Amino acid sequence: MNSSQSKELSGAGLFLNKVRTYFSKPANLIVVIFLVILLTCIIYPLYSVLYASFTVGKMDSMMYNSLFKLHLKPGDFTMLNFTMMIAGKYSHEYSLSFFWRPLWNSVRMSVYSSAIAALVGGVIAWLITRTDIKCKKFISSVFVFPYIMPSWTLALVWKNVFANSKVGTGVTGMLESLTGICVPSWFVYGIFPCAIVMGIHYAPFAYILIGGILRNMDANLEEAATILKAGRWRIIRKVTLPIIMPALFSTILLVFSSTMASYAVPVFVGSPGNFFVLSTMLRSLYSSSYSGQSYVMTLVLVIIGAGMLLLNQMVLGKRKSFTTVTGKSGQVSYVKLGKINNVITAILVVVLFFMAIFPIFSFALESLCDVQGDYSTITLKYWTSRTPIEGFNIPVGEGILFNPRIWGALWGSLKLSFVVAVTVGISGFLIGYGVSKNRSSKLASMLSNVAFFPYLIPAMAFGSIFLAVTSKLVFLRGTFLILVIVASVKYLPFASRSGTSAMMQLSGEIEEAAIIVGAPWHKRMLRILFPIQKSSFISGFLLPFVSCIRELSLFILLTSSGTLITTLLSYFDEKNVEQMSNGINLLIVAIVLIVNFTINKLTGASIDKGIGGN
Amino acid sequence: MPEIIIKNVTKRWGNFVGVDNLNLTIEDGAFITLLGPSGCGKTTTLRMIAGLETPTTGEIIIDGQTVFSSTKGINISAAKRDVGFLFQNYALWPHMTVYQNIAFGLETLKWSKEAIKERVSEMLKMMKIEQFSARYPAELSGGQQQRVAIARTLAPKPKVLFMDEPLSNLDAKLRGEMRTELKRLHVDTGSTFVYVTHDQLEAMTLATKICLMNEGVVQQYDPPLTVYGQPANLFVADFVGNPTMNFIPGRIGSVSGNSAEVELLGKKFTFTSCCPLDGLKGDVTVGIRPEFLPISDNGSIVGSVYSTLPSGMETTVKIKVGDTILSSVMFGSLNYDVDTDIRFSIYSDKILLFENESGRMFASGSMK
Repeated sequence: MNSSQSKELSGAGLFLNKVRTYFSKPANLIVVIFLVILLTCIIYPLYSVLYASFTVGKMDSMMYNSLFKLHLKPGDFTMLNFTMMIAGKYSHEYSLSFFWRPLWNSVRMSVYSSAIAALVGGVIAWLITRTDIKCKKFISSVFVFPYIMPSWTLALVWKNVFANSKVGTGVTGMLESLTGICVPSWFVYGIFPCAIVMGIHYAPFAYILIGGILRNMDANLEEAATILKAGRWRIIRKVTLPIIMPALFSTILLVFSSTMASYAVPVFVGSPGNFFVLSTMLRSLYSSSYSGQSYVMTLVLVIIGAGMLLLNQMVLGKRKSFTTVTGKSGQVSYVKLGKINNVITAILVVVLFFMAIFPIFSFALESLCDVQGDYSTITLKYWTSRTPIEGFNIPVGEGILFNPRIWGALWGSLKLSFVVAVTVGISGFLIGYGVSKNRSSKLASMLSNVAFFPYLIPAMAFGSIFLAVTSKLVFLRGTFLILVIVASVKYLPFASRSGTSAMMQLSGEIEEAAIIVGAPWHKRMLRILFPIQKSSFISGFLLPFVSCIRELSLFILLTSSGTLITTLLSYFDEKNVEQMSNGINLLIVAIVLIVNFTINKLTGASIDKGIGGN
Repeated sequence: MPEIIIKNVTKRWGNFVGVDNLNLTIEDGAFITLLGPSGCGKTTTLRMIAGLETPTTGEIIIDGQTVFSSTKGINISAAKRDVGFLFQNYALWPHMTVYQNIAFGLETLKWSKEAIKERVSEMLKMMKIEQFSARYPAELSGGQQQRVAIARTLAPKPKVLFMDEPLSNLDAKLRGEMRTELKRLHVDTGSTFVYVTHDQLEAMTLATKICLMNEGVVQQYDPPLTVYGQPANLFVADFVGNPTMNFIPGRIGSVSGNSAEVELLGKKFTFTSCCPLDGLKGDVTVGIRPEFLPISDNGSIVGSVYSTLPSGMETTVKIKVGDTILSSVMFGSLNYDVDTDIRFSIYSDKILLFENESGRMFASGSMK
């Protein structure tokens, strides 16, 4: 024993030793590094957007200068963005039509669609887990299609079917061309289709969450009530519902904040009928250079999202124990549906056909019609033409299969999704590791909260926030890198949640057994933890990949229309080139489904696991 | 040779004190069990020595080397402490075969391929699991997994072996077999064993020394038979032994030299100890092991049978005297009708007197 060891250390030396010890554990290092990265990627952008909401954009300044006889230049500080938008300083009509009415529309749309999602998803979850309904396997696997497909898929189908010569742009839909019936305008565009389409899109999400709880719920709880001679209905009301209530409530909140933020659906089936919500208004304000006002809207969206999630945390926090009920008894006595079994099954199968399978036919069909809705004009030219297609106000280019712009955009999307998915997958795995190794540490719980924070922020607002960043860090503007950053941070929440819960389930002893025999950190990662967590890692990779490839609202402000396949799709749709947008959509849906099923078959990981678990 | 010294070690989580100012010296080649009810800090202690948990304050020295010291900021990682650890749930890596599990630690130590192969087959043979070498842990029974875990831990020949309730997941019969083998392994390997358990029978049968803990504090650190016969306090006396010791309220009368008058169960007895009983007075608790209350027709005390629990080799008879229910253990199978009168006596020179307030053992001796 040397003399320096036996001497008591104090002050700086002790502190340094402690710091060295702290960072000699990789888990601690990971926690600190990710915390720094995430805080930079979240706090700084939030500050930028706050700052930007108090400055005037190009058109803002022209407007304020002419209205109030001011001499503001773009970038000047002002309160006017807020007073114009929210307080109605210039005229109440302006504030009403650009802020309050879109806000009211957003709220109504979100309320309706979350109610529809919870009801449809909940009923199907109950039918699948608690009754003897037929075709369970078919129903449960096909029912998740609408959630796997991009959200606007059903909006596009809605348009394909119900559009008619009397409304909007006067394109003939399938219903009119087959039966001659013209449905009224409110049925085609506006809040009605928005709510239905989003409700159906998020119903599988509700189904996965609620079904998961029902499946894991100890059947003894219900059996105990049966023994006490409670009737079926009474059991549902008094036992089942209260137990799934937190999950139900949480589902409603999540759907509410997701729909609040959604851009694609209202732009497809809302805007043509002059139905504007916050996100569509935000985009249109921004693209007409009213950037100051658009950032006010961004802030409002962030606040609403954060409020929803806080509410969710409060509810789940208090009654968490309910949601994690697990039991060993898997034998549930199914409710006998009896005579109506066939009827219900038939109805479900038909509805599912229209929700999940018909869209694919519809896209294929519409991409083949030279004149929309006229099925006698079927042609392959939108797919196979090697020469530019004429007849539109914009240059369309060659058919889909030979169009360099489309292939370029598709390649861009695939590249972006892959890079993002790898980044997010690895980050989620490492964060899960860091957090699970530091269960009681404040830094670790801060990290897991910060990593979930991006979920609070609606995609559209998130894009807008990073747009504010690029206005300062100009070298990032329009680059591939900014897309990677924005998408990685945005998709981190689920990956870090699933990574953490997977790591938490893994007994710490598994790694300790390797520490004891002296295996270094990288070896423990590569040889022990990673192989064991492979399936959950791939799930954590799959979800961001699929989400990213079909993402529109996150990127639409940050990049030009030709960079990604979704922005290109949106561009063609806005310019009414329906054949191309349908064809591209078919391409996206096909890719998403193929990727999902291939990985599912190869590894057993699936997207519904990624969402459903936690 | 490894001697483990633990000095003033405390572990806190917020306000909760897991281990409170622990001082312990584990001699080389010992088989120590850390015994105590769940949550008493025994596993935490073990993990702190192994380096899997960081103490809040204190110092740990293994084999003359300081591996942890809060005042010097030293904390050597578990990997560098040259110890083996057998986990409660075995912690076998599910994606590796039995062979790979055992070989992993040796590969890390950069042993040559041949040496690894030789050592693994030696371990497989020693634990009698040669036929399973290509199987995955999930394809083995609990007992077989346990053997693999032991083989994996012993393969790198650690000088110190830590075990955290390694037998608690096995059924009773297998547990008995493994106990025998562990004791044998201790002799064969010559290593120092530190063993955590909440099962007092396991601690009694295996250890050379028991460290009994409660609420983070060491209650007694002695050889098993000393812990059984001369428990330091009421907690130790109550925790060790099955059926548990009888605790009977007693009252001290006159004291003279080594003997004292004690009134208990409504009768007067004379208690004689080896040492002077100065300062003994007032109310005490008399502790009597069930085997020291033999039932016989000429016993001096009368009670009624409350219940009889025969287990084949021995029989526990619950006897009611006044409001007190006593246990008596008799060899062989007996049966008494409930509520019949029965006579028994107090017969031993290992009767214990405990102070009521502190719970400390005051004296042991005979009672007549």
